Amino acid sequence: MKEKSLIYMRKILFLFAGSVLFINPADGQVLSLLPDTIKPVVPDSGLIEESITVGYATGNQRTLSGSVNRINETGMNEGLVSTPLDALRGRVSGVSIPAGGNSAAALAAVRVRGTTSLTGGNDPLVIVDGVFADLKLLSSIYPADIENFTILKDASETAQYGSRGASGVIEVTTKKGKQGAFSIGYDGSFGVEAAYKSLDMLSGDGFRQLAKERDIAILDLGNQTDFQKEITRLGFVQNHHIAFGGGTETSRYRASLGFVEREGVIRHTKTRNFTTKLNITQHAFDGFLVVDLGIFGSLLKNNNLNDPQKMFYSAATFNPTFPNHTSTETGRWDNTTTASQTTNPLAWLGVKDDDSNAHINTHLKLLFNLSKHLTITAFGSYTYNVIDNAQYFPTTVWGHGQAYRGERKIEALLGNLMLSYKKDFGAHQLNLLGLAEAQKSITSGFYTTVTDFNTDRFGYDNLQAGATRLWEGTGSYYEEPHLASFLARVNYVYGGKYIATVNARADASSKVGANNKWGFFPSASVAWVLTEEEFMEGASWVNNLKLRAGYGLYGNQDAIDSYISSQLMKPNGVVSVNGTPTVTLGTIRNANPDLRWEVKRTFSAGLDAGFLANRLILTLDYYNSRTDDMLYSYDVSVPPFAYNKLLANLGSMRNSGVELGIGVTPLRTRDMELNMNVNVTFQRNKLLSLSGYYKEQYMSAPEYTSISDLNGAGFHGGYNHIVYQMVGQPLGVFYLPKSTGLVSDGNGGYRYEVADLNGNGVSLEDGEDRYIAGQAMPKTLLGSNISFRYKRFDLSLQVNGAFGHKIYNGTSLSYMNMDIFPDYNVLREAPSRNIQDQTATDYWLEKGDYINFDYLTLGWNVPLGKLRNYVRNLRLSVSVNNLATITGYSGLTPMINSSIVNNTLGLDDKRTYPVVRSYTMGLSFNF
Amino acid sequence: MKKISLLSCLFACLAFLSCEDYLKENPRDQLDPEGGYDTPANVYLNTVATLYNYIGGFQDSQGLQGTYRGVYDLNTFTTDEAMLPTRGGDWYDGGFWQGLFLHKWGTNSDAIQATWEYLYKVVVLSNQSLEILGDLRRKTGYKDLDRYEAEVRALRAMYYYYLVDMFARVPLVVSSSIPVKEVRQSDRKEIFEFVVKELQESLPLLYTAHSNSKGDYYGRITKPVAYFLLAKLALNAEVFTDNDWTDGSRPDGRGIYFRVGGQRMNAWQTVMAYCDSITDLNYDLSPEYEANFAVFNESSNENIFTIPMDKGLYANQMQYLFRSRHYNHAKAYGLGGENGSSATVEALRTFAYGTDSVDTRFYYNYYAGTLYDPAGNVIRLDNGAPLVYLPWEIKLDLSRSPAEKTAGARMRKYEIDKTGTKDGKLSDNDIVLFRYADVLLMISEAKVRNGENGDEEMNRVRFRSGMLPRPATLENLLAERQLELAWEGWRRQDLVRFGQFTRPYTDRPQLPNESNGYTTVFPIPEKVRSLNPNLTQNTGY
Repeated sequence: MKEKSLIYMRKILFLFAGSVLFINPADGQVLSLLPDTIKPVVPDSGLIEESITVGYATGNQRTLSGSVNRINETGMNEGLVSTPLDALRGRVSGVSIPAGGNSAAALAAVRVRGTTSLTGGNDPLVIVDGVFADLKLLSSIYPADIENFTILKDASETAQYGSRGASGVIEVTTKKGKQGAFSIGYDGSFGVEAAYKSLDMLSGDGFRQLAKERDIAILDLGNQTDFQKEITRLGFVQNHHIAFGGGTETSRYRASLGFVEREGVIRHTKTRNFTTKLNITQHAFDGFLVVDLGIFGSLLKNNNLNDPQKMFYSAATFNPTFPNHTSTETGRWDNTTTASQTTNPLAWLGVKDDDSNAHINTHLKLLFNLSKHLTITAFGSYTYNVIDNAQYFPTTVWGHGQAYRGERKIEALLGNLMLSYKKDFGAHQLNLLGLAEAQKSITSGFYTTVTDFNTDRFGYDNLQAGATRLWEGTGSYYEEPHLASFLARVNYVYGGKYIATVNARADASSKVGANNKWGFFPSASVAWVLTEEEFMEGASWVNNLKLRAGYGLYGNQDAIDSYISSQLMKPNGVVSVNGTPTVTLGTIRNANPDLRWEVKRTFSAGLDAGFLANRLILTLDYYNSRTDDMLYSYDVSVPPFAYNKLLANLGSMRNSGVELGIGVTPLRTRDMELNMNVNVTFQRNKLLSLSGYYKEQYMSAPEYTSISDLNGAGFHGGYNHIVYQMVGQPLGVFYLPKSTGLVSDGNGGYRYEVADLNGNGVSLEDGEDRYIAGQAMPKTLLGSNISFRYKRFDLSLQVNGAFGHKIYNGTSLSYMNMDIFPDYNVLREAPSRNIQDQTATDYWLEKGDYINFDYLTLGWNVPLGKLRNYVRNLRLSVSVNNLATITGYSGLTPMINSSIVNNTLGLDDKRTYPVVRSYTMGLSFNF
Repeated sequence: MKKISLLSCLFACLAFLSCEDYLKENPRDQLDPEGGYDTPANVYLNTVATLYNYIGGFQDSQGLQGTYRGVYDLNTFTTDEAMLPTRGGDWYDGGFWQGLFLHKWGTNSDAIQATWEYLYKVVVLSNQSLEILGDLRRKTGYKDLDRYEAEVRALRAMYYYYLVDMFARVPLVVSSSIPVKEVRQSDRKEIFEFVVKELQESLPLLYTAHSNSKGDYYGRITKPVAYFLLAKLALNAEVFTDNDWTDGSRPDGRGIYFRVGGQRMNAWQTVMAYCDSITDLNYDLSPEYEANFAVFNESSNENIFTIPMDKGLYANQMQYLFRSRHYNHAKAYGLGGENGSSATVEALRTFAYGTDSVDTRFYYNYYAGTLYDPAGNVIRLDNGAPLVYLPWEIKLDLSRSPAEKTAGARMRKYEIDKTGTKDGKLSDNDIVLFRYADVLLMISEAKVRNGENGDEEMNRVRFRSGMLPRPATLENLLAERQLELAWEGWRRQDLVRFGQFTRPYTDRPQLPNESNGYTTVFPIPEKVRSLNPNLTQNTGY
C-alpha cells in the first residue's frame, strides 16, 4: 500500500515538476527530486499536492480550506543558522521572529499574527512530530534535522489544537529514514562574528579634555580605554551534524547527532547544544500496523550575560581613563563609586550566569489500518526537561558575593486516541476524524540563594563557601495542570473544487474556575478551487486559484497560573513567635474562583493563486480577530480587596491584518534561475476595553498603564514612563510630553522645552500635557528572499524589514545629558549640544522603520567527477549575516524589542548589544 | 512500557475515572485554608503572627519603616526635617523627591497610592483573621481566641491610626467580604473614635510584656504599645477630630473627652494618663541615647515597639542608612550606599550646628565633616581627596554644584552593623517605632497644652543627652521633638499638630492656598477613586 502511494506521489510530482520545476531525472528518490541548487518558487505553496499532516488530520494543500504555510528545507534560511527559528525568520508572513538566537528574550518574542492576549498565551504552540512542545524545545533541535515547518494561522486549522493553538501553531516534522540504500551525510559550518558598531562615546582623551575645558574635577587614571570594545571579542561559531539512515519496504530509520557551539561577541558568553535524534518506522502485518518511534535528546548549555543593561550601560559610560586591567596595587578592579548605577564593566564580566537545559522526548505512534477507510491511531509522548540555573556575583561587584542555584523539572505526558475515516463517494470526498486527548505536565523545582562569601574562587560550585542563606532566597514548588480535550472534524470535498471543514473541539483545564472548566471552541471554513471549474479551462495562464474563508473560536487559559482560582495559603514570612523565629502562612493574592476561558473569535479569508505555470504565485490572507473575556490582572479597589490586582475575564482586543505573499520567477533556463519571494504583513491591533463589571464588581485597568519605563541614574520613578497601554489605542503607544525643541537654560546649557498642550500650565502627569505620539509595534513587516542560480553556483539574499512604528531613544536621552558628566561618560556629540536635561519628552522619539539585509549566501555544488560513484553531493557555501541595515533611526540599531509587551517594548534604553556581523563557511556532503 | 501505561492511563481517564477528578487541582506547595487552622498553635500563627510580617518589609511602600516610598518617607521628606536632594543624575527620579519636599505630590502619586494600598492590605488581612477567629470561636473550644482577637483588633487599629493621620477621611472597613459599592468614607472624627474604641476594648486582653525585647512577646502588640497609640491619638485629637481641616478652626483639646479607666478626661489628661500607664510598666530612658539604636538594641528599656531585625532570620530591611551615606563612606565598611538623604537647613539650625551650643544629639543622628573608617583612617573619595560632608551646602537641587555629591549632613542614628548584608540593608538593629523619650515629650506637651508646667519631662530628655534645661514652651517642644526624634518619622504629624506644616522654609515656598491646610492630609489616590466612585477627594485637591 505504501509502495502504491509512493508511486502515486511520484507520478504527481513528475507531473507537477514537469510543468513547473527543474528536476533531475537521474535521481529516483522522491524527496530528493529537487537538487540542492534549486529553490522552489514559493516554498510555502510549491508542492500543493504533497500529502501533508496538518494537526491531527492528513490531507494535501488542495483539500485544505484554511491558511497553511509549509516551509521545506529548501525554503529555510541559510547563513548562520544555529536554531530552527533562525531558519524560519522572515520566511512566512504573519510570523515574527526576532534575531537573537535562543536567548529567552528572543524566544518570548516569537509571534504568529501578533499579540492577542495581554497576560499570556501569546507564544505559538510548537508541535514536534506530534508532540506538544514549546519554543524552548524547538530552539534546541538541530536545524538540519528538520524536514519541514508547517505554520497554521487560521482558526479552521489551529482549532484542532483548541486552546493551545490560539496563538498559531508551528508544526515541525523531523526527517525520517527513507526507503533505499544506506546513506550518511555531514554538514557543518564555521564562522566568526565581530561587533562593527558601538556607541560613539568620549574617549579617554576626550573625557580629560572636556573636564579640563569645563574645570570639572575628574578621577584621571591616565588611560585611554574603550570599554565597549574591551567587553567584546571575535565571536566564533561552529556547527557539526552527522545523519545517517536507510530502510526497506517495511522499516526505515534515521539517526543524527548534532553539535552547535557559539562563542558570543560579548566575552564569556557561550552556547553549546548537543542533540541526538532517532526516528524509526516499522510496517507490520501487511500494513495493518504502522509503528512510529521517535527519540530526541538535547543538552543546551548557555553561559549568559547577566543583566545586559548593566553591562552595556557600564561599558558605555564608565570612566574611560580607567585601565583595562585590574589595579596593580590592589589586584582588584578599579571602581568609581559616584556612578551608582554602573560598575566596572570588566568586573561585571566576572558575573557567572549559566544554565543548562536537558530535554528527553520520546513518542510512539501506533496506526492501525482497520480497513481501507478506517484507521485508529494511538499516540503517546513523554517529555522530560531539566533546567539548571546557576549564578554567581563576585564580591567585586556585589557586597559580599551572592550565589544562586535553581533546578526546574518539567515532565509532560500526552496521550491521544484518534479515529479517522476517509472515503470517496464518486465526486464526494469525506474525511472524518474523532479524537480524545489528555495531557498533564508536572513542574517542580527548587532554588537557593547564598551570600556572604569570603572568596570568589568557588563561584556557585560550593554553596557552603557562603555564610548566609536568606529565607526568601530558598524555596521549592510543585504544580500539575491537566488538560482534557475532545475533537471532531469533518472535511468534505466535492469534485475537487468545493471544500468545507468543520471542527468541534471541547477543552477542559484544571486551572480555570470550578464551574467553567470546559470550553467549546468550534470552527468552520470553506474553500473554492476556481481552477477546477469548467469556466476557467480557457484561462490556461491561471494554473491555480483558490478562495478560502473561515470562522472559528479559540480558548486561551495560559495566562492562568495553577491554583489561582482558589484562595490558598503560602508561607509569607518569618516572625518571632514565643521567642522563636517561626514561619507563618498567609494569603498572598486575591483569588478568583470564577476564572474562565479567554475566547478569541476569528474571521479569515484568503486566496491562493498561481499564474503562468506558477512563475507568479500569490497568496493573500485577511484576518480579523476579537478577543473577549480577556484575562488580565485588573486593578481592584483596596479596600475591600486586600491586594490591588485580580486576574479576571473582562475586556476585549481586536487584531486584524493582511498578509501578502508573492513569488516570482522572472528567469528560468537550464543554467540560470532567478526567484524572488516577498511576504508582507500589515497588522493592526486595538485595545477595545479593559473595564466593566465582573460578577457585580467594577474592575478596570488604569486609564494609563505604563508598559515600559526608562531606568538608570535619575530615572527611578517619576516621569520615566514611555510606552503605555491605553484603551482605544493599539497595544503599546508612546504617550509623551511634546517637546517644541531645545531652549537655553540660562547657564549656557539647553533643556527640552515642553509644550503646554492643555493650556493650564506645563505638567508631565498622565492626563495632562502628554499626547499619543505613535505606536511601538510595526504596522508592516516585510520578509523577502532573492535567490539566483547560475549553473552550479547559487546566491541567496534575505531582506527583512519593519515599518510604521517608533522607537524611543532613551540611550541618547541619557548619554546626551551633560548633567551626568563626569560620573558617567557622555556621547562625543554631547558637549557641543550641551543639553542639561533628562526630561523624557518626544524629543528622542524616532521613526523605527528599517530594512535589514539579514544574510547573503553564496553556494557551490562541487562537480564530483569520478567521485560521483561514492559521493552523492558536495556543497560549499559562504555567508555573511547581518550585512547592513537601512534606517533613519539614530541609535545603534532599530532592531530592538518592538513586538513583545514587556518593560522594554519600544524602548532603546542603554541595553542594546553592539551590532554584530558574522561570516560563515559551510560544508556538506552525502555518501 | 511507559507508552503502554500512559495509554492505559488515558483509557482509564476517559472510561473509568470521572473527568471531574482529573480536572480538580490538588495543590501541594500551597495549603487550603482549613489546613492552616487545624491546631490552636497554627491558629495563632496564621491569624495573628502572620500579620506581623507586614509591619516591616523590604519592598517599596511595604512596611511602616525601613523601606522607601511608604509611610516613613511621606512623613519625613515632606517636612523641614530632611530631604532627598537631586544630585546630578542621581535622585531626580522623575521629580518624585522634589515633589514630596515641595508638597507637590499630586493626586496620581504611585507612592501615595501604594502606601494607601499597603495600609489597607493589612486592615483587610486583619479583617480576614478576625472572621476566621470568630468562626473558630463558634465551632471550637480553643482557648485564648479572645486574646488573639484583641491582638488583631489592636493591630488593625494601629493601621487605622496611620490612615486617619495621613488620609483623614477613609472608609471604615471591618469585613473582608463587603462589595466595593458599600465601601464609603467616614468622617475623620468617626475613624478616630473607632480607633480609640478598638484599642480601649482590646487593652484588657493584651499582655503587659515589653515587646521590644526578645522573648515570648517580641515584636508583638502588647499593652504598652496600645497605650502609646492611645496617647498619640489623644495628643493629636484636635487634628484627628477635625472633620474640616481647611476651615481655619479646629476643636480645642480641652473640650475633647475620653473615658479612661472609668474617668472622663480631656485630651491632654488622656495623654498623661496613658503615658503614665506606660511608665507604670517600668519603661525608662536608657542612660545612653545611642543604646536604643545599637546593633543589639533589644535590651533597651526605652524602646516600646520595634520592627525585629535579624539578617539571618527576617526579610525586614533597614534601607535608610544605605540611602543616605556616600558610596565611599559605605565602602569603608564593606557596605553599599546611595548618597542621598540629608538634613535640611532648618534641621541644622534647630541643632545649632556649627555653633558652640550645638546639640550633642546632632552627632548621634548625623554624619558631618570628615569621615573615618572603622580603623580610624580618613575616608577618601575616588580621587584621593578626603570625603567631607558639607551640611550647609544642602539644597533641593545640587546638580552642577561643587558639593553635588558631598552636600548635606547624613543619617547616622543607628549603629552600623558591619556584618550587615544586602549592602547593609539587612542588619541586626531593630527599627525603633515607639520609644519612651517620646512618651516623656508627650507628657510635657500635654501638660503645656493643658496649662500646666511640662519642664520636668522635657528636661529629663535633654539631660540624658547632656543638654541644659529649657522651659517647655510649645516652640521649644517642637524643637525638642526634632532634636530627640530626628529620623524617626514623626515630623509631619508634629508639624501638623503645631500648625507649622504648611509654612514656607528654605527651598520650599508655600503653595497657593496651602495656608488653609489642605496639604496636611494626603489626597485619596485618584486610581483608587476611579475604582470606587463612592470615594470623594479630600478638600483642596
